[in-house]
Amino acid sequence: MLENYLPIVVFIAVGMVIGVAPIVLGKLLGPNKPNTAKLSPYECGFEAFEDARAQFDVRFYLVAILFIIFDLEIAFLFPWAVVFQQLGWPAIFAMGVFLLLLTVGFIYEWKKGALEWE
Amino acid sequence: MEIDWLKFFFYCYAALALFGATMVIFSRNSVRAVLFLVLTFVASAGLWMLLQAEFLALILILVYVGAVMVLFLFVVMMLNMNLSPLKEGFVRYLPLGILIAATIVAQLVWVYKNTDMAALHLGELAQKPADYSNITELGLALYTDYLYPFEIAGVILLVAIIAAIALTFRGPQNRRSQNIAVQVATRKDDRLRVIKDVGPDSDLKA
Repeated sequence: MLENYLPIVVFIAVGMVIGVAPIVLGKLLGPNKPNTAKLSPYECGFEAFEDARAQFDVRFYLVAILFIIFDLEIAFLFPWAVVFQQLGWPAIFAMGVFLLLLTVGFIYEWKKGALEWE
Repeated sequence: MEIDWLKFFFYCYAALALFGATMVIFSRNSVRAVLFLVLTFVASAGLWMLLQAEFLALILILVYVGAVMVLFLFVVMMLNMNLSPLKEGFVRYLPLGILIAATIVAQLVWVYKNTDMAALHLGELAQKPADYSNITELGLALYTDYLYPFEIAGVILLVAIIAAIALTFRGPQNRRSQNIAVQVATRKDDRLRVIKDVGPDSDLKA
């Protein structure tokens, strides 16, 4: 079974080489003469005003959590899609109940306005 | 030769996972720590793949790397934390941490010593046919024997949706949105007032 994944391993290895090689080659072959002026911050001639890490709004967190929940729903749908023809109506009914529960939650968040951005 | 390659990949992924986990603890920048946690999860997915758990390995990448780590990044950026005050308690809590780590290691060793490794048929893992489908096995178990826990998982996800909204949703703050139902239900009397005679004594005079 694992031999099916050999192309993926090769792909990952090639990707890593292509990603790492330019950096390493640049370090090795390029001239390296650091000084403070090169490393100093610049922003259209000004010193930088503030830290780049601004504080995020809590609404991003809500969107991320709702995304995880529906991501998990998809994770349950994959094995179901493979076997539901074998298992027949009980499996279809079971997934119907599961989807109904999540649809209730989806309608709730839709009507509550949690998906709307200001 | 097959076994040798399995061992080679196992040691690669195990080393990567240990490296990532160590860097999660030691990196000064919390965003970098999250990215190293991503590396740890990817390496763990590789290890699960070597155990022939292909569906779980891919779901680990899909759910943990794709979704949970995004949530972690948002939390790290939301808290906007400065790490220096967090590092202050390091020495103070070190004995407790060592105690917990030692307990976990002792448990792992105890389980390893007291389990008959030959009875686990570890050798059989490598002998699955090429068309063996992990997802089919999982689906056949999940939607027959474990149907009830599966529906409970659905209820837990529903509770999670409602809890997340209840905890973090603050309602519309400065949103200018249409409420079509209210607009349609409006009657003429709500919007329009016909003023017939404004005499000098009327209170309607501006």
